[in-house]
Amino acid sequence: MISRLLIANRGEIAVRIARACRELGIEVVAACSTSDRHSAVAEMADEAVHIGPPAPRRSYLHVPNLIEAALRTGADAVHPGYGFLSEDPDFAEICELEGLTFVGPPPEVMQQMGNKATARRLMADAGLPLLPGVVEPVRTADEGRAIADAIGYPVIIKAAAGGGGRGMTVVTDPAEFADAFTATRAVARAVFRDSTVYVERYLSRARHVEVQVLCDGHGSGIHLGERDCSLQRRHQKLLEEGPAAHLSPGQRAELGALAVRGALSVGFAGAGTVEFLVDEAGAYFMEMNARIQVEHPVTEMLTGVDLVREQLLVAGGRRLQLQQEDVVPRGAAIECRINAEDPARGFAPAPGHLDVLRAPGGPWTRFDTGYRQGDDVSPHYDSLLGKLIVWAPDRDQAIRRMDRALAELRVEGPGLRTTVDLQRALLRHPDVRADRHDIEFLDRSLPALLSRAAALSATPPRALPAHGPLQLVPDPSDQDRPGSLVPTPPQEGTPPCPIRRSPSRT
Amino acid sequence: MPPGELSSRAATSGTPASAEERTLRDDVVQLARTLPGDLRRLCVRSGESVIEVEWAPEDRAGASSTARAAVGVAPAADPPAGTDLPADVTAVPAPLVGTFYVAASPDADPFVQVGDTVEPGQTLGIVEAMKLMNPIVAEEAGVITEILVGDAESVEYGQVLMYLRTAGGPR
Repeated sequence: MISRLLIANRGEIAVRIARACRELGIEVVAACSTSDRHSAVAEMADEAVHIGPPAPRRSYLHVPNLIEAALRTGADAVHPGYGFLSEDPDFAEICELEGLTFVGPPPEVMQQMGNKATARRLMADAGLPLLPGVVEPVRTADEGRAIADAIGYPVIIKAAAGGGGRGMTVVTDPAEFADAFTATRAVARAVFRDSTVYVERYLSRARHVEVQVLCDGHGSGIHLGERDCSLQRRHQKLLEEGPAAHLSPGQRAELGALAVRGALSVGFAGAGTVEFLVDEAGAYFMEMNARIQVEHPVTEMLTGVDLVREQLLVAGGRRLQLQQEDVVPRGAAIECRINAEDPARGFAPAPGHLDVLRAPGGPWTRFDTGYRQGDDVSPHYDSLLGKLIVWAPDRDQAIRRMDRALAELRVEGPGLRTTVDLQRALLRHPDVRADRHDIEFLDRSLPALLSRAAALSATPPRALPAHGPLQLVPDPSDQDRPGSLVPTPPQEGTPPCPIRRSPSRT
Repeated sequence: MPPGELSSRAATSGTPASAEERTLRDDVVQLARTLPGDLRRLCVRSGESVIEVEWAPEDRAGASSTARAAVGVAPAADPPAGTDLPADVTAVPAPLVGTFYVAASPDADPFVQVGDTVEPGQTLGIVEAMKLMNPIVAEEAGVITEILVGDAESVEYGQVLMYLRTAGGPR
């Protein structure tokens, strides 16, 4: 079993891991860069080690410093979180060589799943359905175009080593293929240092559905239901929910079984996610993430299973105590990523000092963050400021609860901008409320959503709750027109439903 | 890691390597030194003789030159916290996490002692990280006024190892 664990990460996931460790009685060592020396996790930890300057390459990506930090503090395990070194098989291998338990799958499995082309081939061998395309790397534009002609447009060119939504290009017109091919290879080389790309059919109106799996090191595995992460901006997830309400019970059970079969077939151990694209015709394997994911709390809310706790227990060598039938998802859960970004300026990072950070509260409302009021959101790291997660008995109540919680959340500081208003605009969109959006919806509807977000932000917060059926916390322009993407002008005429303002509001 | 951090000296702790391993290590260190730029990873396989070299992305200006300099001096972004040093006293911080050694081997004399005068480039100590010996060298001439870390004690990044009263004058 693990007794003392070094967290090789920062921000909300570091705090999340530290909490799970506390509850398990595992001592916590926080690895902190210069700008994180007084962070929430450094304060919570039994010991904090200064591992380097703010630049990730010299701190959170600096393997020798992390390993030495673990060894000098007597840690027997390392949790990589997500991002940074979490999918680096070399890091996992070095941990093992130094006698440290790496909380994640075996390095060989990380290597295989980290290469999308290899993962595709292995999952095809395990019987998972794939989109028409190739499993072998495509070397030339001519070769790629021949494949595209054979499988039919639109196609997507993907970097084999890609991840995080980068290194993918959709091609709808054969005339654009050669340029897109060259550009994707260049991005792949620059970002992932591996120019290998492959080509597959692109589903434009599909949904992104991912199945959470949990496997132990003894060959057992279960799935914990699925999440729908179709609300993405340029392949970056913004809002995730579960369950995927558009699936039939039969489809849901089949996807779960496929995910477990795929994971066990490659010897996966730990917490992971198998991603599928789903349309009317069926579901297709996309990739497997061999780590804990940002959106794992959605599953935790639905199942009551603490995924990080299970991950730590499995890494410590324990057999899975949960059986498949123990996992009974209930109700509906939504997660909104609160990013320090300005959606109105192309989602440019908008970090700064947190003059005010007030988390929402109330029933089934969870806010995971690594920041406290008075902290600085550092420009050196990703812009995730926190994650707001709610649970409710059904999807509609979950949407209303999320809107209420978003309205309660306060983030203020010079230069700070967040995605809160955009999230509220999303939840008000008829396509999202009717659950008929797809993976391209956000990019397609962004202009309308942004003007709606601007109107929401200009509206002072309400002190009174919504009334009437199926109303969100109202704003003056809250007039949903099903099917219409045209934003309603803000503050025009009388609000559609009477709004009582708090008398004390000045 | 910058090539300057590498040293071909055998580890003073841990299991002794075989002659073959030592030769390989020396060769690899030699290779790392001759490669330009700031290396992130060097992977050597002897089976079918694969050598993979990965360079760090150029996310800082003048990556290779500043990385070399960083071995002996604290990066500007990280001044030793909470100290109001006299103008002529310089802190020598640990450039990485590891174990500090005052001498080249357990039997050898310490590199420096309090009161010693040191020249730029002179070795003040060693920080071992993952069996690599990283010499800590004086950036400027001066006199050692205080050594804060004992032999074989572990240090974190930026931890002050010793203070140096500089000779002053332009540098």
